[in-house]
Amino acid sequence: MASKLSVQGVTSGYVKGIDIVNDVSLEIQEDAITGIIGPNGAGKSTLLKTIFGFLHPSQGKMVFNRREIQTLSPFKLKQLGICYVPQDINTFPRLTVEENLMLGAWTFKRQRTLLKQRLGEIYDFFPVLGAKRGEKATFLSGGELQMLAIGKEVMTIPELLLVDEPSAGLAPMLVSEIYAFLQRIREQGVTIFLVDQNITKAVEVSDYMYLLEMGKIKKQGPKEDFEENIRGIIKDSLIAE
Amino acid sequence: MVTIDWTLLSQYIISGVVIGLIYSLMAMGITFIYGIMRIINWSMGEFYMIGGYLQYIIITHFLGVENWYLGVLLSMVGVFLLGMVVQGLLIKPMFQGSVERRTEYATIVTISLGVLFTNVAVIGAGPFIYSPPGYYHGTRILTLPVSGTRFVAFIGTIVLLSLFYLFLKKTWWGRAFQGAAQNRMGIQTAGIDVFRLDQIAFGIGVALAAAAGALLAPEFYLHPRCGSIATMKGFEIIVIGGLGSIPGVLCAGLLLGLIESLGAVFLNPSFRDVYGFLFLLAILAIKPTGLFEERERVA
Repeated sequence: MASKLSVQGVTSGYVKGIDIVNDVSLEIQEDAITGIIGPNGAGKSTLLKTIFGFLHPSQGKMVFNRREIQTLSPFKLKQLGICYVPQDINTFPRLTVEENLMLGAWTFKRQRTLLKQRLGEIYDFFPVLGAKRGEKATFLSGGELQMLAIGKEVMTIPELLLVDEPSAGLAPMLVSEIYAFLQRIREQGVTIFLVDQNITKAVEVSDYMYLLEMGKIKKQGPKEDFEENIRGIIKDSLIAE
Repeated sequence: MVTIDWTLLSQYIISGVVIGLIYSLMAMGITFIYGIMRIINWSMGEFYMIGGYLQYIIITHFLGVENWYLGVLLSMVGVFLLGMVVQGLLIKPMFQGSVERRTEYATIVTISLGVLFTNVAVIGAGPFIYSPPGYYHGTRILTLPVSGTRFVAFIGTIVLLSLFYLFLKKTWWGRAFQGAAQNRMGIQTAGIDVFRLDQIAFGIGVALAAAAGALLAPEFYLHPRCGSIATMKGFEIIVIGGLGSIPGVLCAGLLLGLIESLGAVFLNPSFRDVYGFLFLLAILAIKPTGLFEERERVA
């Protein structure tokens, strides 16, 4: 399996001299779900923000489809096919559901047929969004907002989807729905890099896992390695917190 | 017993609506820039002044007064481009990277810019007052006889505000601006260059100020400080209406115009500006976030 994204010795943080992610190297394989877990403050979200260009690494490089991307801005990365669903609900509260999704399709806004097709596909998977397409996002429930946030980012059919804590604060049934969606788009050829504190769920859906602690990769391996010792990993995570 | 001259009263009401709406154009520019970039542009009055001077030069030297509307458009385009350049050179760099207190720096930059433009106008135009010829002959709005220029400015403002509204609601770029005002991260994850949006928003905001300056140039005369009254009214309007609220701007503009106008009729016309300020103070006491505060849902 080829590497979709290669992160090589990346160090980054929010303030100069204080590194949150420290010399991290990892490979995200094509058409797979790669998961990264770790306790609060380990640097998981910072790593995703660095990959998507909100932060630029002070050291190291990142290669996506054989192109170095560490200096690129978020909108350029989106054009290259990388999409990012951040941890916080990332919708536009005073725009309608449909307007939110349409903004997600900015990079192909002139292709009306494709736009209509993608809207239809999102509504097929999340019928509640279709039913509420004319409502402002602020009137949606937490679960519906998360569906909208993910739907908005995947309007462009990403090559690589970065997802940060998609299940945070959601009811178990909604979590299953969100994960089912992620698995479905993975089957359609989307590579996924998933950050989640729901370790059991993350291990269940991922093909390969990384454990991040204090900004460094502490363990990595296929999901089976993590499944065998999941109790120990959860215990370590809780102690690290 | 006090008798009310209803014709006179209606004239003052219409007059208040006319001037309130025109000032709203200025306030719309301020609130639009704030909505997108979260900075207050303190040099709006100077962009108003530049719009007025450009209009004067265009219609007196090139197009003639009969083409005043083309002059307004060209003044807007000129100031739009100037705004884009100024934003790109002086403000944008502060928003790229992790600069702390960027809005404070931007405030200082816009204040300094205002001083610079005023002094450039003093050097360029000298200590003279200019007045382009009126755009239109005197006419009536219902019961109110109005100057042709004020009538044109009123209609021009309605047209510009309507176009601006349609732009925001019906176009991709308009939706992007609405999105940027609500969630800057969301705009970036959607693949939109938010810094480009900032630059265009600044250009559009100052172009609205230039439109007000160009439309009112024959009425209020041109001099290097001619934008200060319009700026003051613009800031009053956005505080009354609620910072960042477009419906708030329209409503507050009309209310301010009406209150100043009616205060002048029923109390004393010498203190016209004071009535607006008293209204502003009352709003600050009762509803400090303005009439149309836009509440966000907090998770």
